[in-house]
Amino acid sequence: MSLSRRDFIKANAIAATAAAAGIAIPATASNLVTDSAKSKIKWDKAPCRFCGTGCSVLVGSQDGKVVATQGDPDAPVNKGLNCIKGYFLSKIMYGKDRLTQPLLRMTDGEYDKEGDFVPVSWDKAFDVMAMKFKKTLKDKGPTAIGMFGSGQWTVMEGYAAVKLMKAGFRSNNIDPNARHCMASAVGGFMRTFGIDEPMGCYDDFEASDCFVLWGSNMAEMHPILWSRLTDRRLSQEHVKVHVMSTYKHRSFELADNGMIFTPNTDLAIANFIANYIIQTDSVNWDFVNKHTHFKKATTDIGYGLRPEHKLEQAAKNVASKGKIHDMTFEEYKAQVAEYTVEKTEEISGVPAKKLIEMAKAYADPKVKVMSLWTMGMNQHTRGVWMNSLVYNIHLLTGKISLPGNGPFSLTGQPSACGTAREVGTFSHRLPADLVVKKKAHRDIAEKIWKLPEGTIPGKPGYHAVEQNRMLKDGKLNAYWVMCNNNMQAAPNMNEEGLPGYRNPDNFIVVSDPYPTVTCQAADLILPTAMWVEKEGCYGNAERRTQQWFQQVKAPGEAKSDLWQLMEFSKRFKIEEVWDEELLAKAPHLRGKTMYDVLYRNGNVDAFSIDEAKELNDDAHDCGFYVQKGLFEEYATFGRGHGHDLAPYEMYQKARGLRWPVVDGKETLWRFKEGSDPYVGKGKDFEFYGKPDGKAFIIAAPYEKPPESPDEEYDMWLCTGRVLEHWHSGSMTRRVPELYRAFPDAVVFMHPDDARKRNLRRGDEVIVESRRGEMKSRIETRGRNRPPVGLVFVPWFDARQLINKLTLDATDPLSKQTDYKKCAIKVRKA
Amino acid sequence: MNILKKLWLTLSTPSKAGVGLVLALGFVGGVVFWGGFNTTLSLTNTEEFCTGCHEMADNVYQEYRETIHYSNRSGVRATCPDCHVPKDWTHKIIRKIAASKEVWGMLTGIIDTREKFVDHRKSMAMREWKRMKDNDSRECRNCHNFEYMDFSEQGSRSVKMHSTALASGEKTCIDCHKGIAHELPDMKGVEGWH
Amino acid sequence: MKKIMIVLIAMSIATGAVAQTKAEIMVNNGGVESLRGSAELDVTRSADKHKRVLKDREPLQRNYVHQPPIIPHQVRGYKVNLNVNKCLSCHGWKYARETGATKISPTHFETREGMTLSDVSPRRYFCQQCHVPQVDGRPLVENDFKAVDSLSQYK
Repeated sequence: MSLSRRDFIKANAIAATAAAAGIAIPATASNLVTDSAKSKIKWDKAPCRFCGTGCSVLVGSQDGKVVATQGDPDAPVNKGLNCIKGYFLSKIMYGKDRLTQPLLRMTDGEYDKEGDFVPVSWDKAFDVMAMKFKKTLKDKGPTAIGMFGSGQWTVMEGYAAVKLMKAGFRSNNIDPNARHCMASAVGGFMRTFGIDEPMGCYDDFEASDCFVLWGSNMAEMHPILWSRLTDRRLSQEHVKVHVMSTYKHRSFELADNGMIFTPNTDLAIANFIANYIIQTDSVNWDFVNKHTHFKKATTDIGYGLRPEHKLEQAAKNVASKGKIHDMTFEEYKAQVAEYTVEKTEEISGVPAKKLIEMAKAYADPKVKVMSLWTMGMNQHTRGVWMNSLVYNIHLLTGKISLPGNGPFSLTGQPSACGTAREVGTFSHRLPADLVVKKKAHRDIAEKIWKLPEGTIPGKPGYHAVEQNRMLKDGKLNAYWVMCNNNMQAAPNMNEEGLPGYRNPDNFIVVSDPYPTVTCQAADLILPTAMWVEKEGCYGNAERRTQQWFQQVKAPGEAKSDLWQLMEFSKRFKIEEVWDEELLAKAPHLRGKTMYDVLYRNGNVDAFSIDEAKELNDDAHDCGFYVQKGLFEEYATFGRGHGHDLAPYEMYQKARGLRWPVVDGKETLWRFKEGSDPYVGKGKDFEFYGKPDGKAFIIAAPYEKPPESPDEEYDMWLCTGRVLEHWHSGSMTRRVPELYRAFPDAVVFMHPDDARKRNLRRGDEVIVESRRGEMKSRIETRGRNRPPVGLVFVPWFDARQLINKLTLDATDPLSKQTDYKKCAIKVRKA
Repeated sequence: MNILKKLWLTLSTPSKAGVGLVLALGFVGGVVFWGGFNTTLSLTNTEEFCTGCHEMADNVYQEYRETIHYSNRSGVRATCPDCHVPKDWTHKIIRKIAASKEVWGMLTGIIDTREKFVDHRKSMAMREWKRMKDNDSRECRNCHNFEYMDFSEQGSRSVKMHSTALASGEKTCIDCHKGIAHELPDMKGVEGWH
Repeated sequence: MKKIMIVLIAMSIATGAVAQTKAEIMVNNGGVESLRGSAELDVTRSADKHKRVLKDREPLQRNYVHQPPIIPHQVRGYKVNLNVNKCLSCHGWKYARETGATKISPTHFETREGMTLSDVSPRRYFCQQCHVPQVDGRPLVENDFKAVDSLSQYK
């Protein structure tokens, strides 16, 4: 049976309509509400589905459908406010093309990579999928199996996925899309502090005297935090705002000191500030002596490209890239002394006066400074260095872990912190900052999971960008993409992603609520429940874990990622995934399924179904309160180790709690005595992620980016988001109001650049790099004003696909792609 | 002594030819001067001249380029002098004489940096708004003639204001249309602004 | 179903130092339409038409009570920055009657702590974080959201 595209769309439309049936209530003649049941809406809290701010919303449902959303007035994060995306959450689940049935590529009733998608049952879908995974395991072993996950997974889903991959399939080839967004931040935290995630919290916004945005455009990307920052700036006259970026954007509207710098030269600017602090004798010696060490990064470490790339061949220290060397203060002083204001002005293009104005704020002990950044600093081939360079400034001045005073790494996804980082869904990590490389860490995980020693492989798996490369090279063959749209999101789609997914050797499964670009390149599409169609937890940028209950049912046969992971695990006998050597250590597990071994281990299934809500499809399918079980087992990792989570019940009631939660009390400022229970008595500050409690001030120089404009490709390309759309737009572009607010991606360009190319606003253009091209239209005015020589293009537009152009250069330390700079040219279409 | 006396005599008793020559020279000179004056005047009345100094090019000109008077559907534009220099001769000369102050400002560098420009923006804007208010937005009306406005083609918000406050003369264009070509200064205390 | 065959010649990404095997890749969306429609992934789609914001419209009805109203007019050149807030010069309570604009909601006077101020709360200063104008264009995908009965005339 083959279904034409039209049939397919029709079938989906009918299913969607059927699912919606029963909601229409005939209008009455009276305009008075006489029936209280009719005007009643069931309200419940949920964290927003979009960015890492973690606003809480109230979701109103009636007759099994969401009918309204509003900002949650009781939530400390947003106090009743939402941004335009948050206000339209109520519509994200109701795009007409929701996927409601599994779809498998088939020809004549059999799976065929070149076939057309045909609706199949879940049974059939999992049969084929299991067959493919088993065959891959048999032929090539666990390293040929992989999964690409998400910072939008719930905590429980991410945790279940880690167990499935690392302990079940025994493959570390699991990485989240958070690799694209937060890996450099993690690298910075681990190198400088030895423990992940910010020390401060959002309360800093109401206490700070000065805000410095390092490449971040909070006005569009973190609107609710921007409203808190705006509130502070406009209600306190002494408060100042410094904004740095490679182009002018909405955050400049509030800037007292706006600075446009040449791409990659933020490295020089951060070093200049450190130099200024030293030159003006503004070092907080008491703090520096007691709480820091001076260290030096290994330089010339390449750009995380394929090893055969000439830049990797040319780099001297690729192998020893992560090494950090000891250094004295005098040596540190000499290294940053190079970054005089004159030289920094020359490198960065920022006028000396503006640089000094900003440096003064950092140097002045009376001014409380909050540094803020997201993708500008993280999506950077020297992102880890950059993160540390900003920490250096705060450590030199002791402006850290204090209300209003501290560096703050913002996040882009609702649970980049909660799921990707805290649960450790990365190819090298385990929960609570543990890593697979260390045996002691693997032992801890195996013990908690009640699995034999040696279950988890010690070698880190393929990271995000490497996964696409390995798919292309045929080394990764059975691959599951969940809760993200990586064909659109990953860099260099033409040369890596697309050939990887379409490689005839590979079987690609994509789980998504909607038919995305990634689905179009898949072999099996699994219809997925989203957001309040399931119960879950998210963790935001200020370490706040937030829980929500399922509030409506998913349409058709759509199922949550959690259900999919667990149901799939039932298809494998443990003998089919583990070798004899491991089985011999745990003979009692013989004959059991992966599901039994991983999820019916006495922990995950410890809580009765009676504790779960009546509307909790995942729990009722399992027969036990699976979300609570997974959460509690996961929480074991961090409790007593600085990552303490509260009991699950507390999250059901609270508007989130910031970990570590010790004795029911959340922690606002970590590493500070009196505020963080983990800091020893009399220590004042203690960076307990490091063995001796001292943070590292890590020197690193300015280095050139891997690709810069030249004669042929004569402009910089910077990609990013816009306020109205979130990431690849698969949710927001299905909301008519958001679509109409920013319908199509455009090429923001300086009018002089446009004129030079004989272009006008609205002209169709071809944007081209060495890797690919796309067509878009020119915008010479509006919210983003790039300088001459740079264009900004949002990446939400599946119809344009700007990532056909981007370079898959990564920070060699964090493996995070630099989406902010590559060389392109623009000409009339 | 003698030479001086002779010169004086020649000058004090001009011949007829001499008078003619003087008159002719005077006339030619006058024509040249007048022509030159007008040419110079119109040369100084172009967008190129106005944006010839960096004070204008880097500040107001950049802001103006995003606005409807710079680029629009039909390409009918209002360039700097269309708004800032009167069309008729008398007012134009008065404005041009006043402009000598701006030349002085340029020579002394009153707004030769962005910071200085921003600091002066409010006083400069207030001066221009006052001039426009005093002359009932004369330069706006050179193009936007109230007599010929077709309200049926205007947006409802425009109709509401134009058919009432503008029609009655209670308000003039600049009262509402501030900041349409340049960025605004701090508007605290300016009527009609929050 | 049209299939597009492309031969991806080993794109040795930079110097060609390493020759990779030639792989024949079929780019084929299998009949599934995404937001890009049915255009195959290796196709460079023509850019969609530039869409314009309608100049002036009647206020648009809301989908639910706490939805921020959509801006029913153009906002080209309307600045909101440290110096000025153009929106408030019509929608502020002082001017709303005269200009005929919708008054900003009383919620906009409240601080984070819920105290009512005598003027707009600075946390609400940047209007376009919540209120956006609309272009004249049909959505890419219809949305089946249904408002509650009392608001369901919304189109």
